[in-house]
Amino acid sequence: MNRASLHFLLAALVAIALPLFMRSGTLASEVLIFAMAAAACNLLLGYTGLLSFGQGIFFGLGSYAAGLTLLHTSLPLALALVLSAITGAVVATGVGWLSIRRQGVYFVMLTLAFSQFFYFLAYTFKDITGGDNGLLNIPRPAIGPFSLGESWAYYAFVAVLFLLLFAALQRVASSTFGRTLLAVRDNEERARAIGFPVRNFKITAFAISGAVTGLAGALHALLIGVAPLSNIDYHMSESILIMTIIGGTGNLFASVLGAGFYVIVSDLLSSIWPRWLLLLGGLLIVVALFMQKGLWGLLERLVEALPMGRKSSINSSIESPIQPESEGRGI
Amino acid sequence: MSTQTPILAADKLSVRYGSFLALSDVTLSIKPNTIHSVIGPNGAGKTTLFHALTGRVRASSGRITLDGQDITHVSDDKRVPLGIARSFQVTSLFQNLNVRENLRLAAQGRNPLQALAPWRGVDPRDHALAVADEVMERLELTHVSDRAAGELSHGQQRRLEVGMAVAAKPRLILLDEPTSGMGIDDVEAMKALIRDLGRDHTVLFIEHNMGIVMNISDTVTVMRAGRVLVEGPPAVVRDDPEVRRAYLGNMITGDIA
Ligand SMILES: Nc1ncnc2c1ncn2[C@@H]1O[C@H](COP(=O)(O)OP(=O)(O)OP(=O)(O)O)[C@@H](O)[C@H]1O
Ligand SMILES: [Mg+2]
Repeated sequence: MNRASLHFLLAALVAIALPLFMRSGTLASEVLIFAMAAAACNLLLGYTGLLSFGQGIFFGLGSYAAGLTLLHTSLPLALALVLSAITGAVVATGVGWLSIRRQGVYFVMLTLAFSQFFYFLAYTFKDITGGDNGLLNIPRPAIGPFSLGESWAYYAFVAVLFLLLFAALQRVASSTFGRTLLAVRDNEERARAIGFPVRNFKITAFAISGAVTGLAGALHALLIGVAPLSNIDYHMSESILIMTIIGGTGNLFASVLGAGFYVIVSDLLSSIWPRWLLLLGGLLIVVALFMQKGLWGLLERLVEALPMGRKSSINSSIESPIQPESEGRGI
Repeated sequence: MSTQTPILAADKLSVRYGSFLALSDVTLSIKPNTIHSVIGPNGAGKTTLFHALTGRVRASSGRITLDGQDITHVSDDKRVPLGIARSFQVTSLFQNLNVRENLRLAAQGRNPLQALAPWRGVDPRDHALAVADEVMERLELTHVSDRAAGELSHGQQRRLEVGMAVAAKPRLILLDEPTSGMGIDDVEAMKALIRDLGRDHTVLFIEHNMGIVMNISDTVTVMRAGRVLVEGPPAVVRDDPEVRRAYLGNMITGDIA
């Protein structure tokens, strides 16, 4: 079995296992929704080398787009989801187009600035977005003959979409396009020198990432029946980035791990200890210092430590602190 | 020969880095299917000339034409599909990608928009892969095809650097000091390769090894301080008193076959 099929199988296992181990369908849905957002973020961070603080924009706008469509029109659910994906893609194309004019720190600052800008835009246009209160009472219509009212029914719907999108993202990652992104991350100057219009590749990566993130945002709004202001907040961008980094940027399944960990641990800890974010900060420091391959890297090491695990290969026994994402190639 | 349209021509080309004039009014004409070398002391502006011809740096004045067509304002990536490819003096590879993938990308760069389709996989019968395999064979890199470029020895990296230009199957290939840092055996192999490339490409190369320059070039351009000092066939250039002075008399030692 090749790596891509293995990772898809792992993703499917997660989707099947969540209902077995979790009591709340809402929380389980949240895991998969953020897994999509983190995987989309990974396409930019892990594959293209772009640290984007703009992911919350696409997530939040996806929420609003779906909410507004379902509240004000009689369009079916599927179309509302498509519209939010398109919104995400279009805005991401614009944000990407402007931000990639600068590199490194200045690129990051531009995405951060856009993030603030869209937050205030949403806050200011209260008539449309509901401002502080959010866009309330978003209905969750049936999809064809299937009612999605019950939380596990909705979970099933989210899980199917999650697996479809995961497979699509895998396809993107392994395409000539995805492999060119890896080259851009590795050595942008050379990629241009051998003929690739690097900016077009980065913008396309942004568009795809924005579409998936927008869709995730829509699913989130449908999940809780509200498109809250917090979905477009800068903290949303931050959370999506943290999930992606904790999971590991080497492959797409790592993002599923990161999202699962983040959502479940936040849920557990926030009920026992209100200052649990401190712990998360500590964990992030540990990841940055000692385990740049994230939870996925940890998992790999555990599998290798098992007596019947794979024989440890030279590649994985040499921990290269500068190239934590060298795993990204074969997905 | 002299009436032939040059494949590449520079007309009064200048490049400024800030207020420093690194290239000043360079006029150059490369005849198709020749091997043309550029020599000159360190800092003469040879690499800067390559940067300008390939579009890496913008010309501050002057004109560049490819087959008579003005390409002065064409960006560097768009010059590759037009048939210009180069190697770098300072090795610049995709360190984390394996040798085969490095070359596949370089071959794909001739048709870059094909790679913009996110659903298009890499077919095992892909043309770019076939080119990569062929170039590995030619540069004796086949045995390291699955190693990351960053893990190769220095000599292997230098060969791959040249291979990246070859994989683009350009009409005009520019090599910036292809033998720098190579061992003696590799240097001989590289000399043979450049001569071989001259059969079906136009080659423009920068080289400090006078043995190679005088041996395989059809034309030699000597640069100094951002200007062209002398240009002509190897024998003429070697005996030019100005060139001897520029090189302080003792650097041109290579014999002519
Ligand atoms: N990016 C840059 N910014 C400022 N000055 C530069 C830059 N690149 C080159 N120069 C200057 O331009 C001049 C020509 O440099 P160039 O690299 O073209 O020389 P060269 O002939 O290739 O030399 P070498 O044989 O050492 O490779 C040098 O004086 C150098 O210091
Ligand atoms: Mg140089």
